[in-house]
Amino acid sequence: MSGRAERLMSGDLLPWIVMLAWILAILFGLMLLVGANFGEALSGFFNGAFGGRRMAYLAATLSRATLIVGMALSVMISFRAGLFNIGGEGQLVAGGLVSALVAILLPGPPLVVLVAAILAGMAAGALWALLAGVLYLYVGVPLLVGSLLLNFPIRYIASYLVAHPFRDVPSGMLQSHLVPEATWLAYFPGFRLDIGILFIVATSIFAIVYSHTTVHGYQARLNGLSADFARTVGLPVRKLTLQTLAMSGAIAGLVGAIAVFGMHHRYIDGMLVQPLYAWTGIIAVLLVGMIPWLVPLSGLFFAALQTGAAGMERAAGVPKEIALVMQAVIILFVASRVSGAILSARSSGTRGGDDV
Amino acid sequence: MHAALNNIRVAFGPLVAVDDVSIAIAAGEVHAVVGENGAGKSTLMNVLFGLIKPEAGTIEVEGVARNWASPQDAIRAGLGMVHQHFMLQEEMTVLENIVLCGEPVNRFGFVDFNRARQKLADGFREHGIVIDLDATVGGLAVGQRQVVEILKMLYRDARLLILDEPTAVLTPQEKDRLFGILRSFAASGKSIVIITHKLDEVLEIADRVSVMRGGRLVSSGPLGETSKDRIAREIIGGDLPPPLKPAARTPGEVVLSVRGLRAGTRGWVGPLSFDVHAGEIVGIAGVSGNGQAELIRALAGLAPGVAGEIMLNGQPVDRLDVGGRRRTGMSYIPEDRQRAGLALGATVAENANAGRDDVSTFSRGPFLDRAAMASFARGLIERYRIKVAGPSALASTMSGGNKQKLVVGRELARGTPLVIAENPTWGVDIGAIELIHAELLRMRDQGHAVLLVSTELDEILRLSDRVLVMYSGTLSEPIEAADADRNRIGALMTSRTDAALRSVA
Repeated sequence: MSGRAERLMSGDLLPWIVMLAWILAILFGLMLLVGANFGEALSGFFNGAFGGRRMAYLAATLSRATLIVGMALSVMISFRAGLFNIGGEGQLVAGGLVSALVAILLPGPPLVVLVAAILAGMAAGALWALLAGVLYLYVGVPLLVGSLLLNFPIRYIASYLVAHPFRDVPSGMLQSHLVPEATWLAYFPGFRLDIGILFIVATSIFAIVYSHTTVHGYQARLNGLSADFARTVGLPVRKLTLQTLAMSGAIAGLVGAIAVFGMHHRYIDGMLVQPLYAWTGIIAVLLVGMIPWLVPLSGLFFAALQTGAAGMERAAGVPKEIALVMQAVIILFVASRVSGAILSARSSGTRGGDDV
Repeated sequence: MHAALNNIRVAFGPLVAVDDVSIAIAAGEVHAVVGENGAGKSTLMNVLFGLIKPEAGTIEVEGVARNWASPQDAIRAGLGMVHQHFMLQEEMTVLENIVLCGEPVNRFGFVDFNRARQKLADGFREHGIVIDLDATVGGLAVGQRQVVEILKMLYRDARLLILDEPTAVLTPQEKDRLFGILRSFAASGKSIVIITHKLDEVLEIADRVSVMRGGRLVSSGPLGETSKDRIAREIIGGDLPPPLKPAARTPGEVVLSVRGLRAGTRGWVGPLSFDVHAGEIVGIAGVSGNGQAELIRALAGLAPGVAGEIMLNGQPVDRLDVGGRRRTGMSYIPEDRQRAGLALGATVAENANAGRDDVSTFSRGPFLDRAAMASFARGLIERYRIKVAGPSALASTMSGGNKQKLVVGRELARGTPLVIAENPTWGVDIGAIELIHAELLRMRDQGHAVLLVSTELDEILRLSDRVLVMYSGTLSEPIEAADADRNRIGALMTSRTDAALRSVA
């Protein structure tokens, strides 16, 4: 092997190959354990992720991908600016809850109600993210801590609201009443997939364009690359921080609204928390190193992993928890890459220490 | 101790840092290794000390071929290295630091500090070292800390000492003391290797000089067979530019006026009062850590002062943030180009356009005008002769000197009435130093006010029209350039103004 190819292997490709090897090894190990048929399991996986009668499973994958990609975009915008907003879950819940309540309480023509509810959901997500930003800038609570902890109050506020004042009591479940049927997002003809995905396609385009071509995205990224640098050259760091957090939170809020009007048609306790959309979004962003155009693909990959695993369980009896195991391997891989990058930056990044 | 490196080659990826270099260090000599940043001198010495494994070549110590698995092997064989950044435990005493990892143990397993004291006392007598073994390292001056580092090696019976830029943080007096100790070491048969870029120090202390450029050894021989000019030419690979001849000063209006400024934690720096006029360079000399960083942060708005007022162009700027002050008429060349001066993960063009006030010249509505950004960056690259692939190359791909030229170019291009330069040539090569100095003088001659804060006394003396010396958070009276001499400033750098004046008078 030539020196160049060797470097390429060790530098870029090797970790990916190692990760794939781990995933495959765990996969086959588990299959052996339960005595499954490899071929059946594999076809079950692909059928579960992309097939089904009238493409029902593909619709499920895309529908899950809608929410994961949306959350990933929200995370990407704040992470690229160096703002470790890991409170996407809280912002998602705030958006879903508020948009559902607005749609239930606000009278008027369905389209107006829908638009108002979505905007209210986005505003709620943005405000919840801004709260973490204000705590960070003016009180000194680290963003990582503040945004994470703010996940809990909103979760319990939502639980309380759908358990008491706004509970659909006859249903016997902890959930709100249905939003008016006329506000439900339409399905694509002949396909069990709502048009919420179009909102996320638009958001993806917005996020990619914003990151690469706007002055705001440029300045935010400089802040993300070096906060010291951004301060020193006089960028409006506080303003950038709050605006970026608001944008990130608004996208999370939009995702919450899509989940309400496209999938559940009401707010059900835990519907946005248990599937771990926000956390999967974070992994999806870190896996591709925050590169904007790869984020939607990464989100789709994770959605397919989860629905495919369910298909594998149906077809070959391989437990679907295997998807979680694979995600855990990916997290380990991402964590080692991130910490590796931090370590190498530290060793070479001493004061002006660029002497070789 | 005699040591030799034979045909050493080290490569980092495609970059060959050291290319087929052979060098021999004789017992009892002081061997200076000089060269620009990136010439490979530190890398070569890291090979000798076992920190880097060479791709090819052999290491020989006292006639025996060695293959270090780690620096521990080298230490056991009698080598010692003092790094540019000291490795000391601040909370522990001098003695504890010295014996760390080599503690003398009595037969009950306890550390026998008395034995260590005795051993060190012999060394102190022999080399004329004075230090309080029971002082806490955190309370020591930089020069004393360096002595602690050297004592660590003395205690371990190192017979070959490698010092990486040992005088970078020392006052002239501390430097003299260090050189005294080193000479005494050499006289007792120890070998000393000094990595440095200060030629005067080479002439003062070295027996033998090795010059490196671009990873290769240019020359190696006794000091007597070469000259300062020749070494300088070998370092930069050409002739030195003619010395700078500043035009006569014609100071104008007051641009920066500081009155009663207190900065730092609980305002420990200050109160400071001084003016900088248009068309002059005011130099602030001093050993680092005496409040210069706090002063600059307060002026730039990075950490607003505790008390006092700052007037820029006749306007109070105390309440403005960094951006506001810069728009009022201030540019700032920070010392730390790796973190504050540049965003290394961004491209050259992205770095060059950051912090420009006229955002509209490189944007259309909310969108960036990439072409305008690139052409502005290309202008800086040409004007400052920055060696880089182009505007879209990452800033991290440039060498230290080129990074610094980009920072200086970006800040000076703003053409603001006030320029604050903080150690603007720290750790850059001679070519870049000349260019940066010439640019600062050009700004002065064009009527800009320049505040130069530097720990390099030579730089201060070379450029400044007036010199202020900072010590322990206070400033001396201004000294006119004509009256500034090294000894007087050196004394002011280490003691309070009044005491220093008395000792000089």
